[in-house]
Amino acid sequence: MALRESSEISAEFSFETEKAIAKSFSKRFQWEMILIGLGQAAIWLSLWPLVLNGFLDLWVGFLIASLCACFAYLPSHEAQHGNYSRGNPKLRWLDSLVGHITLITLKFPYHILRITHMKHHAYTNDPEKDPDYQNAHNTSVLKVIKNVLDGSTLQFDKYLDVFQNDKAFVNSFHQAIPIALFYKAAPLVLVVLFPFETLLLWWMPAKIGSVYTTVFFSYYPHLGTSTGRYQNTRFWSHWMPRFFNHSMQLHFIHHLHPSIGHYDEPKAIEALKPFLIARKVPGADQIPDRVTFNPLIRI
Amino acid sequence: MLIEKILNHISNWGKFWFGLIFLGCLFNAILEKFTSLNGTSYTWVFAFGLGALIGLIAKIRGAWL
Repeated sequence: MALRESSEISAEFSFETEKAIAKSFSKRFQWEMILIGLGQAAIWLSLWPLVLNGFLDLWVGFLIASLCACFAYLPSHEAQHGNYSRGNPKLRWLDSLVGHITLITLKFPYHILRITHMKHHAYTNDPEKDPDYQNAHNTSVLKVIKNVLDGSTLQFDKYLDVFQNDKAFVNSFHQAIPIALFYKAAPLVLVVLFPFETLLLWWMPAKIGSVYTTVFFSYYPHLGTSTGRYQNTRFWSHWMPRFFNHSMQLHFIHHLHPSIGHYDEPKAIEALKPFLIARKVPGADQIPDRVTFNPLIRI
Repeated sequence: MLIEKILNHISNWGKFWFGLIFLGCLFNAILEKFTSLNGTSYTWVFAFGLGALIGLIAKIRGAWL
């Protein structure tokens, strides 16, 4: 990647050095994410026979399904970046497998999320081309929640139009159509047979998971940021222990180096902190010297 | 072509069908389970009618909320 160096940046903080350090954190096999992605989908699926046969109360099932939905996106996100196969063509099936399976809980087609997420990285905070712009630049978290519940943040038609000359983008959309139709039709069939179970095991958990994902993965990390590699995502803190928001305070390192695995981000941030300060990443001066692994501590 | 027609229809009328089928089924189940209307004739007409009405209003407004 070509990057014009600013004259203010000293040679010790060059992009090449930063990239080399980041690369050293981008090699580990992301087994935890695979376990979470496939595990939550398996648990969610098992709720149906357990609830329908009376082994589990529907409200308990609803709580578990909602938790599953909150854990559903991140394993797919790693797959979208090819962080399971890590460039090995023989392992690409693993990206697809985890990417598709984990999103069943959220009722989203993997192909569409993958291609729109790639555009989000390429055009972060661009009002015309960033598919996440509406979420990240809303005026309040309540409006984000309302828009997600309403479904009005999913302007797929708009981005199909914006990127109509991008063959890979259009093809991915077309690939996703059968799965998208399935996710539209399946709840409408299930609700006829099992109305309350469909509402409380799939439809509402998917909404809760979508709200959670949008607020913590899209809104907070990009709130008040501008365009540019080192300016489009920020370091932020929150009253909530990191465990509950998937450590999204550290999301800026993902935007700088998407191949770093999620659970390797804290160590990568510690190593790259001087680079982030030198590059004036928003909030970088507040990054602690040691990012604790204890997820019950805020940061 | 057929797929394109289906997608256009869903895009235009998806909210109405969701209201009629999804909300209608839920309202019907709620009326049957939690009210004294259980067993009353035409309960389903009210339930599915209400679902369709909400879906139609959402279609006209272009948004659910």
